[in-house]
Parts: sequence; structure tokens; C-alpha cells
Amino acid sequence: MQPSAPHSALLSARNVRKTYHLGKVRVPVLRDASIDIAAGEWVSIVGSSGSGKSTLLHLLGGLDRPDADSGPISFAGDELRAFGPRRENEYRNRDVGFVFQFYHLLPELTVLENAMLPSLVGLGRFRWLLARGELRERAAELLKTCGLGHRLLHRPAELSGGERQRVAIARALINKPRVLLADEPTGNLDEKTGGGILDLLASCHADGLTLVMVTHDASIARRAQRQVRIADGCVALARE
Amino acid sequence: MYAPLLSNRYLTSRIIPFLAVAAVALCVALVIVVVSVMSGFLEEVRRSGKTLIGDVVVTRDITGIPHYEEFIREIEALPTAEAACAVVETYGLLQMPYGQGDGGKQIETVQVWGIEPTSFDRVTDYRSKLYWRTPTKEETAALAPDDPRLDAEYQRDREGMSLHNAAGEPGLVLGIEISPFNRRTKDGSYRTENQSGAQDPGYFMPNIEPAPLLTLVPVTESGKIVGEKKMRFPVVNEFQSGVFQIDSQRVLAPIAEIQRMLALDAADVVSRTERDENGQPKIEGRTPARATTILVKAKPGVDPMQLRTDVEVAYARFFETIMKDPVRSRFGRPPLSVLVATWEQRLSALLGPVEKERSLMRTLFSIVYVVCAALVLAIFWSIVQEKTRDIGILRAIGASRTGVLWIFLRYGMLIGVVGSLLGVLLAWAIVARLNDIHDLLGTPSPTWLRVLAWLAVLVGLGMIVRSVRRASALRTVLWGFGTVGLASLAAVLWNHEGHVIWDPSVYYFSRIPSEIDTDIAWTTAVFGTLFSVIGAAIPAGRAADTDPVKSLRYE
Repeated sequence: MQPSAPHSALLSARNVRKTYHLGKVRVPVLRDASIDIAAGEWVSIVGSSGSGKSTLLHLLGGLDRPDADSGPISFAGDELRAFGPRRENEYRNRDVGFVFQFYHLLPELTVLENAMLPSLVGLGRFRWLLARGELRERAAELLKTCGLGHRLLHRPAELSGGERQRVAIARALINKPRVLLADEPTGNLDEKTGGGILDLLASCHADGLTLVMVTHDASIARRAQRQVRIADGCVALARE
Repeated sequence: MYAPLLSNRYLTSRIIPFLAVAAVALCVALVIVVVSVMSGFLEEVRRSGKTLIGDVVVTRDITGIPHYEEFIREIEALPTAEAACAVVETYGLLQMPYGQGDGGKQIETVQVWGIEPTSFDRVTDYRSKLYWRTPTKEETAALAPDDPRLDAEYQRDREGMSLHNAAGEPGLVLGIEISPFNRRTKDGSYRTENQSGAQDPGYFMPNIEPAPLLTLVPVTESGKIVGEKKMRFPVVNEFQSGVFQIDSQRVLAPIAEIQRMLALDAADVVSRTERDENGQPKIEGRTPARATTILVKAKPGVDPMQLRTDVEVAYARFFETIMKDPVRSRFGRPPLSVLVATWEQRLSALLGPVEKERSLMRTLFSIVYVVCAALVLAIFWSIVQEKTRDIGILRAIGASRTGVLWIFLRYGMLIGVVGSLLGVLLAWAIVARLNDIHDLLGTPSPTWLRVLAWLAVLVGLGMIVRSVRRASALRTVLWGFGTVGLASLAAVLWNHEGHVIWDPSVYYFSRIPSEIDTDIAWTTAVFGTLFSVIGAAIPAGRAADTDPVKSLRYE
């Protein structure tokens, strides 16, 4: 079954397969899963634990590779599999932004430095020297938008879970990606804090960002324009 | 641009890099200190081996080289040679005036060198090896107040380096270890002691009566023993070369006396058939005196191998000159060939074991190197392993594999460079003050230090009680271990009555070699840095090659 896309697809997966190998045991996680995500759309991927929703998100974000006999994953019409290492890094750095359930901030860097990190990665030394003032300003602005203007020089260890997730969102947005991929962004937060994070994501979506969010919570999934359910390694259901 | 930021942050925001720097520094310092001291020790042995031998040695068997004065002139005309001297070398028996040998006498097998002191000194710096001589002002300052050399009674160099006693009799200069009554003390000097161990000038060799009896055995060219020759020689001095094998066996005597005893002196050749006007056998000519060995000193900066080649050429020239002269060649035909060797070749039997020791040391230290390298590798492996998740994050936000690798290469390089430089500085500080440290260990610890150590133990106990009351397990454990360490130190200080590790009565040298081996130092520093970089690069490369998702899942 293939869910229909409301608009022309920005991000698309066709018959994607992914198998994990645990020693000699093969664990197929995705079996011919297909999904199309249009530009500006907010899609929630739901499913039970171990259904393969995070795996699909990682494949869409280029963090993992599908099986050799898998169908293609495309971004703006370009197949990810055809990307060379440089384009692959560029894709992760500029085209998509990632928000993880466990934030994954670098503990040695301040909030501001964590938020700026993708721009540091994307620019060479020379370009960084030219643009550093502007980028610092943009990172600070983003963090203010996320409600962390007073925490710029703090370390992640000094922040609450919700604050850390906001830093992670600011980091994902710093390079103005076209797609934000969020893996259980509120999974580690209480309801109120999680609600604040969802509001922040909603405002990003309102600004035109394409949003793909993985969650196992139906109430959170309902905030998206479209929900897709993964069961038995396939995208089983689409609900507008 | 993120690489410098992250490597600097990794370095400055956690304690583990400082532990890594300390580990690298300690490993580098350990290797430099031990290799420097061992190399210095072996170099001292090697340098001492060169004592009393010059740079190149020309030898012939007991039949000797005739016309050797002319050969010496030929050598001294060489642009590579500074001086040369003749030696007559043989073995003999020296009957000492005391001991347990025949008739209550001690009999030593000795290597006898007949020398002419002035020319011998020009080649071998013999004067500085004479033990019982008037010390210079600098030497006087370094001697212990009870050193016998400060006593004029013991000084035997006032008349220069004469091999004759005050009565003009030819004498011997003994290696200082030949007499069993010369006891070497901890400061490296000697005291003359009698059989009950008390200092006794009566057992000072130059005071000994009757004079020792030297027995030599002349041998003819065909190898026939002519008959033993015996002669009493008073001891006029003793020498210390610093090499036990030399100091316990070698005896120096006037060359003319030894030539005479070995029948190598100049002598008339008489006719077996013709008689002169007095009815005596007719003198046909005179055989020249012979020397068995010629020692040659190279000019400064000349390679002994080069000098050796030049001496060989000079000998060929000398041989040709003599052979062209019918009279000189008839009564003193030089041997067609002589053995010309550098001092190292000549002393290969002595230096061989030293070189073996050096090789053994290098082998052992290559193991130490490997252990240090493994330690550095292990530390970096655990540091980078701990950062696997960070590597996943960086890869997830678009960092390239080489970019990630570069972070940890910089990290390893910075730790390696800082650690290695600190290690070199630490090693230099230790090696430069090694003798002071050793002297400190050799003296009993002062009372104030003992008391201070026990006070520190009391403070430690107080801190343990405080930590227990505050229910801090970590502090309790740390203060517990610290106090046990302090108590051990206090106990050691309390019982420390001075422990001499480098005992000059056992070793040749009174001071521990304390010059840093700069080649070893920089090589070790470079390897310290290299192993740090490799230690960081291998796990970082492995982590950078892993898919970001796997790295992110790493716990």
C-alpha cells in the first residue's frame, strides 16, 4: 500500500527495505515501505516500538543506508544512493535538519556553539571567518526564538530536558534546511514541556518548513497535517 | 573550522586529557632518563677502554719491530698523526712482598708494558692517570679531607713522571687494583689498609720493602724460551685508568729495562769464525733495539680508521727504506707485515661485552617503548571510544569522515606534543640533578622532614573523619588512599638512613653519568607524539567509518 502525496514530493521513498543483522540473525525492519512527502507538509510517522519508524526517518535523512535490493529514496528528485560522500555530507548539513529524542548535544560546547555547529561544519575556515558574525547573530536569534536567549553561554548539562531539545531544534534549523526530521522530539519530556516543543515545531512549519516527525503518541501525531502508520515494516495507513 | 574548536574544548574541559598528557610525559621522561643514564654509563666504559692506548696500535709479536724510532718519526710526519710512542709488551709474574704465594708472597700474573713516560704521556695522557701525585687546586677541592693524596707522604709525582725512585733505581707503576690492600671507598678514592682493615701507610705500595720481584721470560724468534729473567723493581706509583681489567693486570716499567730483560735491546753481533786483534770474536755490527707495540695518537678530528690507513702506508714506506739500506737491513730486518688496528679493534675483547650490553639495553628499551606506546594507545582508545556518540552527532549534521578524523588527530597531536615536551623537560630536570637526587637518597632524612610527614598523616586522618561525617564516599576513599600513601612515605623517611644505589666501590665511576642523550630525547619525543596521534587516529578512523546511526546508538 502506498500513501498518496498531496503535492509533488520533496522527499520520497519507494519500496525501501532495511534489514539489521544481529550476528547471524537477519531482522528485516522495513519491507517495501514507500512514502512521499511534499514540500511544506507536516507528516507524522506513527507505529509501535520496533515497527521501523525511526529507521525510516534515518534512511530519509541519509543517516543510514537501505539494503542493496531496496527501492530508491529521493530528495527533490535526486536519489540519495547516487550521492557521493561530499554531497551526502552536504545533504545532512544543509538540506535536512535532525532533531533526536535524546537531543544529542555536544557537552563540551555552549548552547550558542551547539546551535552554530552545523554552520561551522558546513563552512570552510575562510568562509567561516567572513560569516562568523552573521552566523553568531543568527544562532542567537534562533535561540531567542526558542526561548533560550538567556542561556547562550550555558553548557547542555546546565539545561533542562525541554531546553536541551530547543537547542537541538535551533541547531537543526541553523542552516535553513528544507526538511526537518524529528525523531520522538517530545519522547523524553513531560507533557507540558513536550507541548511547548510541538508549538515550536508548529511555528517552524507555519514558516514553510517541511516537517517529518516520528512519534508513538497518537495525540502528538494528530497535530500533523498527515499521519502515516508503519506496521510490519510497511507504511500501512495514511490519514489526512 | 569545527575541528580546532572541538579539539581545544576536548582538551580543556575534562580531566582525562590532562591524565593523558601526564601519561605521555611520564613515559617519555622514563625512557629518556633510563636510556640517558645507561648510554652514559656504557659510553664511560667505552671511553675508559681507550685509556692508555691512543687511537691506533701497531703490534708485532715478541720479536718486535727494529728501528722503531725511525718508524715513529715516519708516523709523526703524517698529517693525521699527532704523536707516537714505543711500548714493549709482555706478560710476567710479579711477586708481591706480602700475600699467600710461595714463601708467604703473593704472586700476580701481570701484563707488563715497558714505556718511556714522556712520549707515552703525549700519546695517552698518562700523567692524568697517575694516582699518587700532587693534586691540582681543583682536584684538591673535590677530595675528601682524609684522602691520602692530600698527604705529601703519598704523593709520588713531584719529580715528574719518572719511572725511577729517589735513588735512581728503575721502578714500576702498578695498576691500582693489583694490590689487594688498596680499598676503594664510596667516593671512588682509595685507602691503603692493612689486613685487619685499618688505614696503614705501611701497606702503601711505594713504601713496601722489599721491592716486588718481576719475572719475565724472553722468547727467541723461533719461539724458544731463553730462560727466565728476574729483577726487583721498587713501586714508584700506581695508576687508575678506570677499567678494572687494566687496573688489576697492567704494570708499567721503563722500556729499556724490559727490553734488556727480554733481550730486545740493542746488542753487538759477533762473528762465529773471525777474531779481532785481541783474540775476541770480531764485532760485525749491532742489532737495533726492538719494540713490540707502537701507540699512535690522531690529530683532533681525525678518524682513527683514516689514521690506521696512513700508518699502514707509513709502515710500507719505512720497510722499503730499511730494506734499501744493506747494513741496517742485515742487522735489523723489519717484519714484512705488522698488525695495525684502531683502539676499538684492539680492545674488541673488552668492548665486545659492552656493545652486547648496549644492544641488550636497546632491546629491553624497545620493549619499554612498546609498553609506553601501548599505554598511550590504550588511553587514546578509551578517550575516543567515549566520544563515539559525538562522532555520530557530527556525522549526522554533515561532518565528513576526514573532518572527524582531523579533530582527533589534532587532539592526539596536541596531547602528544605537550606531553612529550613536558617529558623532555622533566627528564632533563631529573638527569641534570641526578647526582644531587642520589646524594639526597644517600643521606639520612632530616628530623624536620620526618616530623612533617607524620603531621601530614595526622591531617589526612582528620580529613578521613571529616569525609565520613559528611557522608562523602569519594572523598573518604581519596583521603584514605592519600593517607595510606603519606603514612608509607613517613615510615620510609623514619627508617631512611641513607641508601646509596650507585656505589663507586662497585662501579668504575664515582658519579652517575648525568648528561641527557639529546638524540634519544628528541627521538622519544617524536615517537611519544606519533603514538599519541596513532592512538587517537585508529579508534577515530574506526568511529568515523561507522554509519552515524550506529555511532549515535553507541553506549
